[in-house]
Amino acid sequence: MANVSVAAEWQLLYNRYYRKPELYPMRWKHVDLARHKVAGAPFGGPVAVIRDDSKIVQLHAESALRKLRLFNSAGHPLADAVWRHPGGRLIGMSWNDDLTLVCVVQDGTIYRYDLHAQLVEPNISMGKECFEQNVADCAFWGNGVVCITEQNQLFCIPDFRNPKPVPLADPMIDEPPRCIAVIEPQYTMSGNVEVLLGVADDPVVLVVEEDGVQRLGEGLLRGPLQKMVVSRDGKWLASFTHDGRLLVTTSDLTGIIIERECEADENLRLIKPSLPEAVEACVDASGHEFDVSRQRTLLRAASYGQAFCSNFQRDRIQEMCKILRVLNAVRNPEIGIPLSIQQYKLLSPSVLIGRLINAHRHLLALRISEYLGMNQEVVIMHWACSKITASLSIPDATLLDILLDKLKLCKGISYAAVAAHADKNGRRKLAAMLVDHEPRSSKQVVPLLLSIGEEDTALMKATESGDIDLVYLVLFHIWQKRQSLEFFGTIQARPLARDLFITYARCYKHEYLKDFFLSTGQLQDVAFLLWKESWEFVKNPMASKGSPLHGPRIKLIEKAQSLFAETKEHVFESKAAEEHAKLLRIQHELEVTTKQAIFVDSSISDTIRTCIVLGNHRAAMRVKTEFKVSEKRWYWLKVFALATIKDWVALEKFSKEKRPPIGYRPFVEACIEADEKAEAIKYIPKLADPRERAESYARIGLVKEAADAASQAKDGELLGRLKLTFAQNAAASSIFDTLRDRLSFPGAS
Amino acid sequence: MAQIPNLDNAPINLISIREQSQKELINILKNIRGKKCLVIDPKLGDSLSLIIQTSLLKEHGVELRHLSADHIQTDCTKVVYLVRSQPNLMRHICSNIHHDESKGLQREYHVYFVPRRTVVCEKVLEEEKLHNMVTIGEYPLYIVPMDEDVLSFELDLAYKECQVDGDTSSLWHIAKAIHKLEFSFGVIPNLRAKGKASVRVADILNRMQAEEPVNSSDMVMPEINTLILLDREVDMVTPLCSQLTYEGLLDEFLNIKNGSIELDASIMGLQQEGEKTKVPLNSTDKLFKEIRDLNFEVVVQILRQKATSMKQDYTEMTTTSQSVSELKDFVKKLNSLPEITRHINLAQHLTTFTSKPSFLGQLDMEHTIVESQSYDICFDYIEELIHKQEPLTTVLRLLILFSVTNSGLPKKHFDYLRRELLHSYGFEHITTLNNLEKAGLFKKQESRSNWLTIKRALQLVVEDTDTANPNDISYVFSGYAPLSIRLIQHAIRSGWRPVEEILKLLPGPHLETKRGAFSNSPSFDSLSGVSTGIAKVPDGRRALVLVVFVGGVTFAEISALRFLCSQEGMAYDLIIATTKIVNGQTLVETFMEKLG
Repeated sequence: MANVSVAAEWQLLYNRYYRKPELYPMRWKHVDLARHKVAGAPFGGPVAVIRDDSKIVQLHAESALRKLRLFNSAGHPLADAVWRHPGGRLIGMSWNDDLTLVCVVQDGTIYRYDLHAQLVEPNISMGKECFEQNVADCAFWGNGVVCITEQNQLFCIPDFRNPKPVPLADPMIDEPPRCIAVIEPQYTMSGNVEVLLGVADDPVVLVVEEDGVQRLGEGLLRGPLQKMVVSRDGKWLASFTHDGRLLVTTSDLTGIIIERECEADENLRLIKPSLPEAVEACVDASGHEFDVSRQRTLLRAASYGQAFCSNFQRDRIQEMCKILRVLNAVRNPEIGIPLSIQQYKLLSPSVLIGRLINAHRHLLALRISEYLGMNQEVVIMHWACSKITASLSIPDATLLDILLDKLKLCKGISYAAVAAHADKNGRRKLAAMLVDHEPRSSKQVVPLLLSIGEEDTALMKATESGDIDLVYLVLFHIWQKRQSLEFFGTIQARPLARDLFITYARCYKHEYLKDFFLSTGQLQDVAFLLWKESWEFVKNPMASKGSPLHGPRIKLIEKAQSLFAETKEHVFESKAAEEHAKLLRIQHELEVTTKQAIFVDSSISDTIRTCIVLGNHRAAMRVKTEFKVSEKRWYWLKVFALATIKDWVALEKFSKEKRPPIGYRPFVEACIEADEKAEAIKYIPKLADPRERAESYARIGLVKEAADAASQAKDGELLGRLKLTFAQNAAASSIFDTLRDRLSFPGAS
Repeated sequence: MAQIPNLDNAPINLISIREQSQKELINILKNIRGKKCLVIDPKLGDSLSLIIQTSLLKEHGVELRHLSADHIQTDCTKVVYLVRSQPNLMRHICSNIHHDESKGLQREYHVYFVPRRTVVCEKVLEEEKLHNMVTIGEYPLYIVPMDEDVLSFELDLAYKECQVDGDTSSLWHIAKAIHKLEFSFGVIPNLRAKGKASVRVADILNRMQAEEPVNSSDMVMPEINTLILLDREVDMVTPLCSQLTYEGLLDEFLNIKNGSIELDASIMGLQQEGEKTKVPLNSTDKLFKEIRDLNFEVVVQILRQKATSMKQDYTEMTTTSQSVSELKDFVKKLNSLPEITRHINLAQHLTTFTSKPSFLGQLDMEHTIVESQSYDICFDYIEELIHKQEPLTTVLRLLILFSVTNSGLPKKHFDYLRRELLHSYGFEHITTLNNLEKAGLFKKQESRSNWLTIKRALQLVVEDTDTANPNDISYVFSGYAPLSIRLIQHAIRSGWRPVEEILKLLPGPHLETKRGAFSNSPSFDSLSGVSTGIAKVPDGRRALVLVVFVGGVTFAEISALRFLCSQEGMAYDLIIATTKIVNGQTLVETFMEKLG
């Protein structure tokens, strides 16, 4: 299998072999790299090219306007854009980690482009100093940039996701540095970026940080450096010296590496190759090979050799085949991402997929993720969003069908997110249609619907979810956005929203609630609110001051009364309010005539009782007549009031006025409760029901009378119960006896 | 304090739930460094007393205060509010902070919402321009274990909010709580619900499962087999009847709050005159565990027997010579003396209430109303209570019972009683009446009542109930079998199908469904475990049913469920969850709202 032409490609450099294969013949035309500024992205990414405006060049058959052109690694054009930014010369450009092209111009403005040469808003500024001093040079790393001004001041943006310029310490140099390099924040001790400056006529490297400048390499370097490059992991520094030597040092310039680190993986070569190792080597080699037919040759050899090894891991070959299929697919010149296997492993499949969809290679991305058994949601989601962006002319319904057709491939995909994108692209109706298909109705969907102005749908979804918090969210949103009347109309049609609004407003927006009830014609509810307010006057004595008849309070109640009267269904409430107003008036009069402030806000029954207790029977009678108090209630009230003041004479007189409409039970009860046995005995015989008589006797401890009455009633159960009532005795000697006897419970034995 | 119940014997690991809640609270406190003043809304404080000991809070540099309109007196510069996310509580916080501002006090404010922050509460802070001054956090307490078989969501206003205000926040809370349980114990494969709110909870629960699924694949067997959800609305008769079990009666008269009662020390035979003492009531107390669910009449007998046998032993001890082992037995028995004494004291105290003619009269009337035979007698009785101005809650309790069993009162009577109520108790109670009407608890009659049919079909009134050796749940009300528990009895035994016709007579829809990975699995088909025995979990334990009461449950109902559990041939263990443990009085009180 060894092939001379293959071996001839390899060249020995120091102690290792390297080769430099041509991956693609570049497909671009008229690109003379010498006349251009070029930025190539790592990991087989795109190449950005723009005519270098710092050089005087001859224009061939091309426009005088400069164009930023983007190509894939095979020189296949991806996109272009005319460059017409103000701000002076383009100082530097570079791709950052998420494949955004960052371009720094003289006045410190940074323009950013995506993969499709679309300008990413907003532009970033390096700040006032850079604007005034002009940027002279810059250095990039994965996610940041350092600029040096013409006055040799340094400014950096440590992270483009949060683009705030930070000034670095003043390096105190008069001449511009010869060369500049950067150690990324993730590899420095301080976690901040370190800028290395190679200074003219001084055999040192200045390390500039936010808070200071160090001099490194003194005694190690023999002269100023011309060019420096930091390794990807920030550990090593390769530099080109003034005398044309290549020097590799540690990045802190404490030692020269190229003379020290010489260990090689010679071991393998020295040992006579045994079969498993050879197989392993073939598999490995196939992975590093770019040429498909050579990959095939190597893998075939491995597969052959494997058959003779007992302990070789078979899936190694399978795995490699899988990787190579992916790599070959993306290396295809149409796609043009010439990833090496190490790069692929470093990059990870998911990042690769991300790059593919960014380049709008959705089908390939989908196939790869399917092939590798990865979640396809990302791809489909991105496709759907791109589709929406690109399909301005397709009508909503048609586009919806196209989208649904693909979205359904992926269970659990967020229709809401796609809808959000549609909305951002001004397709509100499509967004609403998409949200309709979202099975998840809650936290994500409702706020989204609000943001796209679909308030009614939002309210519906929130209501369906049963999450009251979401309903309130929608409610407050609509409340804020709409005119009162429109708002009222909206919630009136939605019972849950309406009820919640009322609950909240009852607590905090009383007046507004009144407006609501008025607008919806719920006059009785307005009436209740007014009636409630009338009590506020009681709590707040200041409000009623100077008005002995509590004028404003009564007016409110009367207003409530008339509102109740306007609806057919609230006759009862209307009457009650009327009576309430009347009662307050009478109570005021009573307070004036009796000079005692004890009437207002007591009930009608209490007012009658108070009058009787005060001996004012005429007033009591008047209240009774005014409010048509029934004879039944009157008797109970008067009897109890008389018993309260122990006016037994008056009570007896009252009992004889006429035959009481509810018999003599009130008299008996009042006396027993006042513990006046003698008085009770006057009325017990007058009770019509012998059972009642028996029980009443029993309650005052008259055993014989009780038994007589009970036997009259011929009620065995009653007899039994009475017997128990008298069964109590409490004579106890020991603690146990006490415990036992204290437990006499009627019906317990 | 012994108030934190012992959960060792719980059928599912409730200890881990409680420990999780403890840890979350401690973490909140730990993350706010230094000394801080913890201001708790009082009702939440009550619930927390079942989760964590006050001493543990103090260990974390906490000075404890109750939230009220009064400003906070403390030297701490850090104030941590721990409040349920109710908009009306925000008012106090706002007035506290405004007061500090006016006094030039610079403090750091944290507001932790239980169980989660809500838009409406933050809106209040925003309107008061305080939202930039406070750091907002959440304390996700959804469930409080009350005892080894009882969980509470601590939503005391749930029923009223749903029925009167149309605010269904509690239903989401319940679904979330159950969903959280499912994350620990697996997706519950069978679901049965009756009532509008319960069916809604089931719906929300299924939505949650769709949005944020409990991964059922790594759970071999769900620990809870069946979920039964029942609306309080379906049975408003039971909670209004006076409970006659020991624990039920204790609650009726002494108001059990978070698993303990507070009463005069003298009642418990303690020396401190005029002082109050707290008695914890949970299954940690062995004697209480034995007698809590029994009819009070029986409890009295049992206590008497225990006292008598103790006395006999004592007499034998003093009169005859005993062997050492006999002595040992006696001493062992003596150890139970404090428990016996405690319950004899309580029982004796209860009899002072139960022997009152007014209570006996009330019991009598409750039975008459439930029998639903003598409308006029009931009407007159209630009218007289109003005229005598008996306590309003007592009156309303009977009135609602009367209205519910008659599915409302004729308009004439309805208006008449409302007028008599306003005249007797004051016009400010118009709101209470309005609330009750909205909730359908006291209303105008619009259709004929189904109560007699329901009562007969489900055998709710059982003659000859032997309270000492009961064979039916009717013992808890000395002859009335609670409707709610009858329904659950059916749901467990055979599902809804056989009682479908009766369910249709009760308010709200019903639902029976399978869930999760088991929705197609025949081995979980129906709860016919009694006959086939398939519901048994392999290790010999019985399968578990979670019964959730949406709107509250009474101790008597819990006792009835425990009674069902203890029956031979019962294939299930039960665990009970409720929005709150209620009784007739506390339930009625939630609807009471004065205008003034």
